[in-house]
Amino acid sequence: MSLPLAVKFARRELRGGLRGFRIFLACLALGVAAIAAVGSIRASIEAGLAQEGAALLGGDAQMAFTYRFASNTERAWMQDASVRLSEIVDFRSMAVVDRDGQAERGLTQVKAVDDAYPLIGTPRLDPDMSLPDALAGADGLPGAVMERALIDRLGLSTGDTFRLGTQDFVLMAMLAHEPDGAADGFGLGPRTLVATRALDGSGLLAPGSLFSTKYRLDLPDGTDLATTADSARAQFEQTGMRWTDARNGAPGVALFVQRLGAFLILVGLSGLAVGGVGVSAAVRAYLADKTSVIATLRTLGADRATIFQTYFLQIGLLSLLGIAIGLALGGLVPVLLAPLITGRLPVPAVFTIYPAPLIEAGIYGLLTALIFTLWPLARTEEVRAATLFRDALSTTRLLPPLRYLLVIALGLAALVGLAAWFSGSARLTLWTTGGLIGALLLLAVAAFAIRALARLGTSAARGRPALRWALAAIAGPREGAGSVVLSLGLGLSVLAAVGQIDGNLRRAISGNLPDIAPSYFFIDIQKDQMPGFTKRLENDPAVSRIDSAPMLRGVITTINGKPAQEVAGDHWVVRGDRGITYAADLPARTRITAGEWWPPDYTGPPQISFAAEEAGELGLSLGDTLSVNIMGRDIAATITSFREVDFSTAGIGFVLTMNPGALAGAPHSFISTVYAKPEAEAQILRDLAGQFPNITAIRVRDAIDRVSNVLAGLAAATSWGAAATLLTGFLVLIGAAAAGESARTYEAAVLKTLGAARRRILLSFALRAAFLGIAAGLVALLAGIAGGWAVSTYVLETDFSIIWPSAITIVAGGVIATLLAGLGFAWGPLAARPAQVLRARE
Amino acid sequence: MTIPTLSLKQTSLSLNGNAGRVDILHDITLDVHRGETLGLIGPSGSGKSSLLMLMGGLEQSTGGQITALGHDLTAMDEDALARFRRDHMGVVFQSFHLIPTMTALENVATPLELAGVADAFDRAAAELDTVGLGHRAGHYPAQLSGGEQQRVALARASAPRPDILLADEPTGNLDETNGAAIMDLLFGLRDRHGATLVLVTHAPELAARCDRVITLRDGRIIDETAQEAAE
Repeated sequence: MSLPLAVKFARRELRGGLRGFRIFLACLALGVAAIAAVGSIRASIEAGLAQEGAALLGGDAQMAFTYRFASNTERAWMQDASVRLSEIVDFRSMAVVDRDGQAERGLTQVKAVDDAYPLIGTPRLDPDMSLPDALAGADGLPGAVMERALIDRLGLSTGDTFRLGTQDFVLMAMLAHEPDGAADGFGLGPRTLVATRALDGSGLLAPGSLFSTKYRLDLPDGTDLATTADSARAQFEQTGMRWTDARNGAPGVALFVQRLGAFLILVGLSGLAVGGVGVSAAVRAYLADKTSVIATLRTLGADRATIFQTYFLQIGLLSLLGIAIGLALGGLVPVLLAPLITGRLPVPAVFTIYPAPLIEAGIYGLLTALIFTLWPLARTEEVRAATLFRDALSTTRLLPPLRYLLVIALGLAALVGLAAWFSGSARLTLWTTGGLIGALLLLAVAAFAIRALARLGTSAARGRPALRWALAAIAGPREGAGSVVLSLGLGLSVLAAVGQIDGNLRRAISGNLPDIAPSYFFIDIQKDQMPGFTKRLENDPAVSRIDSAPMLRGVITTINGKPAQEVAGDHWVVRGDRGITYAADLPARTRITAGEWWPPDYTGPPQISFAAEEAGELGLSLGDTLSVNIMGRDIAATITSFREVDFSTAGIGFVLTMNPGALAGAPHSFISTVYAKPEAEAQILRDLAGQFPNITAIRVRDAIDRVSNVLAGLAAATSWGAAATLLTGFLVLIGAAAAGESARTYEAAVLKTLGAARRRILLSFALRAAFLGIAAGLVALLAGIAGGWAVSTYVLETDFSIIWPSAITIVAGGVIATLLAGLGFAWGPLAARPAQVLRARE
Repeated sequence: MTIPTLSLKQTSLSLNGNAGRVDILHDITLDVHRGETLGLIGPSGSGKSSLLMLMGGLEQSTGGQITALGHDLTAMDEDALARFRRDHMGVVFQSFHLIPTMTALENVATPLELAGVADAFDRAAAELDTVGLGHRAGHYPAQLSGGEQQRVALARASAPRPDILLADEPTGNLDETNGAAIMDLLFGLRDRHGATLVLVTHAPELAARCDRVITLRDGRIIDETAQEAAE
């Protein structure tokens, strides 16, 4: 019956207060707080999205179509189901301003609306006016409102005119807030809002043009959204209809928030692992101080179980305290900072205390505390009564007894399993866990290696006392080289990996492409415009290459007669509609990997040439039949060849190419990529836009910049997560430095007694800190680069090259941090008078 | 008249503790001459160790003057005191105070390195041989017994051939046999190098081996006895 006794002993020991446990509590609290805060913010946004679903969507439900308006049947169904209906047309175009005989052009995402828009919410305009008044226009011209970015780029003022296609508009106001903006997702240009009826003479919505339509439905009160959705999908999904409703008004945003939240929580878990190293070090230091107490208890007859329980209870109680502090911080800080966070979020959020993320963070905290404290706690069993007369450190075994190792392994498995379950991505969780364990192993080896090297170095450093003392201290039996290298190294590794991944992703998108990417994407080129379009470019010596292709959109509905998503799951090719083209001849720079391309004059049943890599992922074989719905019409076709398609060059790449006879009857436009010298780009745009006002030009560099901006936001969010990890690393470092302060004070006193001046002792301390910092930094560099390479290569599937500036900053940061922590805790030892220090030890 | 090796004039020491100011030593005046062995005795808390610490510049007096080999220790800053000890003093403590991260050899070599001695490690090894621990040179303090640790501490203190050896209850933590061995070594080293030795002790047999014995009580010298050193 050792437990009641252990409770008594534990209570007595805890009467001493929390001194020595500040870093322990801070590490655990910070790690748990970071995860709880990320989870709470995610829950707040999800609650906001759910609560404001209808407002975000601009209606109770939405039916969307690509390249077409709703058919009469679809329209009739919608009118029948709703009390109010609004039609929106969304497309890209060029806004053109004529000024001093020169035309200024800017890409814009046009939203053409009817009188019913918006069903929910109100756009905010500057100057303040109603949307109908704004769209009514002035001086006989229809009106438009624009986002500030485009107004600034085109140098427009309220009352100025601009052109979309062949239609002139008067700018009535700046669009300050678009109520359903979040539901529209990522656009390549700033928004322009016009009335649909004003586009009648613009030539922009010709058959085959690239546009999408969205029908917002105001449903009768009490309508069951699930039943209505099922009914709509059953009737119209096969014709390319996409359904969204207020239960998830901005699905893209919701998915993004969910995935980013999961990723940030995994980064937070890395922080908790770093904190775990600090927690472990703190427990070891505490138990080392308690060795004589334990030995005395053993002398008095306490058995091993009583001793273990005594300290397990103490550490357990302190862990609960640390976790509670973390949960309080992580739950309350987002609520307290709600006004600040809300202002910076593009989506609504409802900030309050959410139990689910706190429970998740609490479980992570408990398991981490168990995993990292059990090992040192197990060592209490090894303390024998004889330890009172012998140094405790010389008798401990490397590994704790097997039963403790098993419990640690079970705790780790539970942590990984729960993280995979909570994050919804087992793959990412396993990568993170593997990376962390790999980094910890590498760091443990590095800590061992630096001690071994220091041991060898002490002989070589004879005659240079400061250097020899530093090396001896690192090599010696008591120095916290292990915990410094592990904690700082792990924090820096996470930061280095994030830096490498971010840098490579940016480089993949913006760094490598200019050599191979086209200058412009031209869309909405009508078939009869193609000869004139091609002629302008073919005669220009600055143009090195033109690729053009017909462009249609279609949905793969069945594969070999079975629903496509049943066969291919959630693969992106079968998710929504895809670009489809046709060609009589095998296009230049295309290689057939299997099967045969159809003859140029082929007129038989429809055939498909499918992208080889995607076909492999979908499990498709030659001879398989696909049913593709294009413009509401199902076309059944047989796969007769596979071909290589490189989607990374930003050129034209289609997963599906069909023989001309299969698609030529469907209305469509052409797209074209133009590769030209940068200095010729502006003139090409002026000529083509002047000649063909309906054509939209997308400058690839601008599109890449826009994607890069989105990535910059992602990288910033990730960097905050990594910064929390690093902060934990610094805390652990400070803990290690503080834990070693008494040893250094003693050492400094003895060295002073032997005749060492303070400068020399300080130099020795600085060297010691610098060596450990360099070791941690170098290993972090290696682990970070390895982690970055692994994630870039296997998860993001981008090329990898080392981003040296980021890498070197990490190493330098590691050295400086260790040096600062080491020197920060050197003043006390240097200032102490030797006599006081030495007599305190008598 | 020769200059005393150590000279204290009206030296006092007060410390500020949690319980307020505590006067440790009052107006101590004494001289110690070259080659002399001075024993400091007295009950616990009488100020013996504090007096020794003042002599070694390890503690700063709050009044009076202390000179060693003609140098005013009270006028020196911390680093100057450290350098003075490096060049002229060796100190042995009751609790040995070896640096735990260094081997026995490295501990002994440290003051020699500080003094810039070229063959510091050879001399340290020879010094360890002298105290009978040549075979334990590579061992860390935690791997040595108390007696062995004190022998390393003795070797460390005597290795630079100091003019002054200060020993604070060097046998206080040792059994009788080890204590006797350490004292033999200490006096042997003193004899070999001709150093001035100041020794704090509770042991009458040790005090009996000193040239002169000063008794302290409540921070004051209450008795001073010159004696025929018993070998």
